[in-house]
Parts: sequence; C-alpha cells; structure tokens
Amino acid sequence: MVTKEEIMKIAILSKLFVADDEIDKLTKDMGEIISFADTINNAADEGGDFDNINNLSNVLRDDEVVPSFEREKILQNAKDSDSGCFLVKNIMK
Amino acid sequence: MSESKIAKLHEGLVNKDFSCTELTKKYIEAIERDNGTLNAYVTVTADTALETAERVDKKIADGKDIGLLEGIPMTLKDNISTEGIRTTCCSKILEDYTPIYDATVWDILKKDNAVLLGKTNMDEFAMGSSCETSYFGGAKNPHNVNHVAGGSSGGVASAVGGNIAVYGLGSDTGGSIRQPASFCGIVGLKPTYGAVSRYGLIAYASSLDQIGPITTNVEDAAIIFDAISQYDDMDSTSQGRKGAPVCRNLKNDIKGIKIGIAREYLDGVRDDVRTAVEEAAEVYKSLGAEIVYFDLPSLKYALPVYYIIACAEASSNLGRYDGIRYGYKAENYKDVNDMIKKTRSTGFGEEVKRRILLGTYVLSSGYYDAYYKKAQNLRGTIISAFKKAFEICDVILAPTVPMTAFENGHAVSDPVETYLTDICTVPVNICGLPGVSVPCGFGSNGLPIGVQIIGDSFTEAKILNAAWQYENAANKFKSTDFGISI
Repeated sequence: MVTKEEIMKIAILSKLFVADDEIDKLTKDMGEIISFADTINNAADEGGDFDNINNLSNVLRDDEVVPSFEREKILQNAKDSDSGCFLVKNIMK
Repeated sequence: MSESKIAKLHEGLVNKDFSCTELTKKYIEAIERDNGTLNAYVTVTADTALETAERVDKKIADGKDIGLLEGIPMTLKDNISTEGIRTTCCSKILEDYTPIYDATVWDILKKDNAVLLGKTNMDEFAMGSSCETSYFGGAKNPHNVNHVAGGSSGGVASAVGGNIAVYGLGSDTGGSIRQPASFCGIVGLKPTYGAVSRYGLIAYASSLDQIGPITTNVEDAAIIFDAISQYDDMDSTSQGRKGAPVCRNLKNDIKGIKIGIAREYLDGVRDDVRTAVEEAAEVYKSLGAEIVYFDLPSLKYALPVYYIIACAEASSNLGRYDGIRYGYKAENYKDVNDMIKKTRSTGFGEEVKRRILLGTYVLSSGYYDAYYKKAQNLRGTIISAFKKAFEICDVILAPTVPMTAFENGHAVSDPVETYLTDICTVPVNICGLPGVSVPCGFGSNGLPIGVQIIGDSFTEAKILNAAWQYENAANKFKSTDFGISI
C-alpha cells in the first residue's frame, strides 16, 4: 500500500506541490491506481522481450546546418525574456 | 448505400451548386448556434476559414481543378500545432500558447486548402475518456447532451457527429479517436504507429500516440488517411503509408476473409453492446466472411501495461512545462525551483497531476523493475500474441467500448473505474496496430455503439475495406439535430 510519505517523495521528484487538504484523497486514489497496476505481477515472465513496435529503427540524418526558427519567434511565447534570452531568477548567488 | 460526404461536397463545389464561401459561412453559423450546447470548439477561426474559402472560390472561378480536400470545412484537436493559432491542449498551462510552426498533418492539409473552422475540445493533455478533464469543460454528445462525447478527442467527435465540421483529426494514445467516435456514432481510425507523422502533436505518450481521422463514414476516413500518411523526416518514427492509397482498395469483395473474435474482448461487455457486435459478425457472415473464435489470454494485462507505460512516458514528456519558455508561469515565488513547482501545481489539472505522479512512481528507484520493466516485458508478450492471432485471421472484430457514452460527471468521480472502460481500445496502441471504429447500432438507452476492426501493422487498406463493406451492408449512421443538413 502506498503511503503519504511516498506520495510526498514522488511529488518532489515530479516538481509538484501537494496541498495538505489534497494529500488524503490523493493517497487513496494513488493507492487504488497502484493496486490496479500491481495486477501485472500475477503475469508469468515469459521473457517476451520488447525491443520496439513495428520493427522501427532510429533514423539518422546527415549533420547539416539547416535554417531554424528565429530567436525572436521562439521567445514570443516566453512570459519573461531579456536581451534575446529566457529570463529566470538567478540560480547562483 | 455508404456515401462519402467529402466527395459529395467536392462535387457540389466543382458543379458550382454552392460556393466554398457559402458552405463555410453555413458551418460558421451552425457553430455559432450549436457550440454553446455542444462545447465542441475551444477556438473558432472564422476569419482564416473564410480567407481559405475565398482562395478556393477564386480557383474554381478561374477554371482550375481543385483537389478532393480543397474547400472542405474541418477541424483539428487542440493538441495539433497550428502556426499563429492558439493551441491549448485544453490545459491552463498552455491557455495562451501560440505555436510558431505547423504540425506536419496540418501542413499537408493547409497546402490542400482545407478550411480550418477551429480547434476542438479534448481531455487535458489527452488524458481522459470523457473530455471532462478539459480546462474548458467537456464536449457534449450530439445524440444526447446529458451524456459526454467521450475522450480524449471528444470535441472532434462532437463536432463531426453534430455536423459542425465535415471531418476532423484527433489523436489516439489508448483509444482517444475510436472511443469518442463510438460514443458519437461516427467513424474513427487509429492508424498504424508510424504511418502518420507525429511532428507537432503535443506529446502525451510518444510510443503510443498516433494522429488519425474522425469522419461520418468509412470512405472519408480512407480519403483523409491517404492524404496524411506520408513519410516525414521531422518524426524519427515515421514510416508513412505502405502500399497503394487505401481508397483504391475500398469496395473489394470480402468473401472468404477470416474475421477473428477474441473471446476475452467480449468479457464484461454490456449486453446490448455484445449483441450489437455479434450482429455485426452476422452481417459479415452474410457477406461471405468466416468468423473464427480464439483466445487471447494476455489481453487481461493490457490495461495495467498501458497505464504504466503511458504515465511513465507522460511524466517525462510533461517535464518540459516549467513556465520558462512557454505557457503559464506562476507569479509569486522564492526561487526557480519554487517557480517551477508552483507553475506546474497550478497549471496542471488533477488527472494530469495524478498521471505524472504515477509515471514518476513506476520509474523511480526501487519500483522500476516491478512496474515499468515488467510492463515493457508484457508489452512484448501482447505484441507476440497479436502477431500469432493474425496467422489465423485477417482482421479482428471487437467492441470499441464495453458500454455507451457515460452521463455527464460520471467519469470524473472514479478514476480506476473510468480507466477500465479503455479495455477494448488500449491493446491496439500497445502493439502499434491500426484499428477503426464504425457505428454498429444503438444501446438500450438510445446511444450509439461502435464496433472495432483491428488489423496487422500497415494493413489500413484491409481494415477500411472490411469496415466499408459492413457500413455498406448495414449503415448504422444517424444524423443528429445539430449542425447543418447537407
């Protein structure tokens, strides 16, 4: 059974806050979902290796310089930008 | 007799029975009238639609030939990128996001002068089976607005079923094209993984996602599939269509083909749905097909395998939403980490957060082997089982959904119960196979039922031909009170 502590740890890894009033319901929901996922543990390990579907293989292209998007265009969806860069609060002092 | 709506409208345009502008205006008026009830569209692009219509009219006036898709009013699910037109994934986190490039599928159709009426509603990030996890509220079923249109491509299905669009493109990760098509009494095709480019489709689970058409009839689905199934070097998993255009292989005799029914697909299916599927099998028999029953025991693991893999991929794909480069950004925060956490916690809805958490859980240290690795291993087992099935039959017949459309509000109350309703659709995504849902009757509550025809990889021509033959023999399409009548 999944515990509140585990949910809190997973939330940190997921970069999500879980509010105090959400944690009980979330633990219950996640518990149900995880016990549903647990049903696969009844399956015999048949070693049916999964490589890929439809025998796809990586497609590599030649490393050529091709036109890309203009910097201005890329920045137009950012909430904050400055001097052609995405703007964030300083990470290091 | 089954009839292509696209071909009929094309003929009308070419014969000058009506102009493209007149046709487009009729659709826009119908959207203005009916969208308040159906909630199918989240963005209406009337101006660009009329501009395209004008271009098509000029071509016709100049005596030039027009292609089959030119001037036909259509829609796109709101996770398909459209340059200069807001694309929200029906999430608060992308509420004001405007792509700077077109998805390949839209690039193809735009060059064909397809008339885009607008972008349609969906479950947030395509995560849901009722369209109700949408930030903009769910799309309604045109057969009964007290019921959902289904999900996640609920808006496209509602618009096409309610005839406020001729056709639309949706995306299918675990049934998101076929399930709403089934709920709304129309046709939905999930192509083989790799047949249609995913470039510009906002990712949910990249090894399962695939774009496909939602239409009122099988021939239209074939027409759209032929147009969009092109190799694309912007998608590293792209293969394009293999073989001749599928339209050329529609209407072929199906005498002697073997149609498989896996007994497990009928377990737990509601009685009226089971009866409708069995009746469809009888229609096939009358057309000279042979019905072969077989067992597919690994099918019982398909759902947990699907949810583990889909959520694992989602937790990684949705890591990009950090408020820095695009989308919603939280306002009051201490530092970068706090900003990212606040942005994601406020920007994502409940179901999306649940799936990110589940995905992170199954990928985290200590759980990876028990869940993710085991699920991938079982994925291999299920793929082998389907390959074996296609040694004894040409196509597989199954229900699309074990029931008809849920009542509004029902799906959101119990996540696991709702996940279980995806049982008949997820195996196709796990195996990368093509599947098409076709209307096969109405349930005891008067709502549409769909039957699914599944084929081996890259056999869209085979499944669409089988679907066309059924539709032609027992057309179960019924128009609704919405939209325009043609």
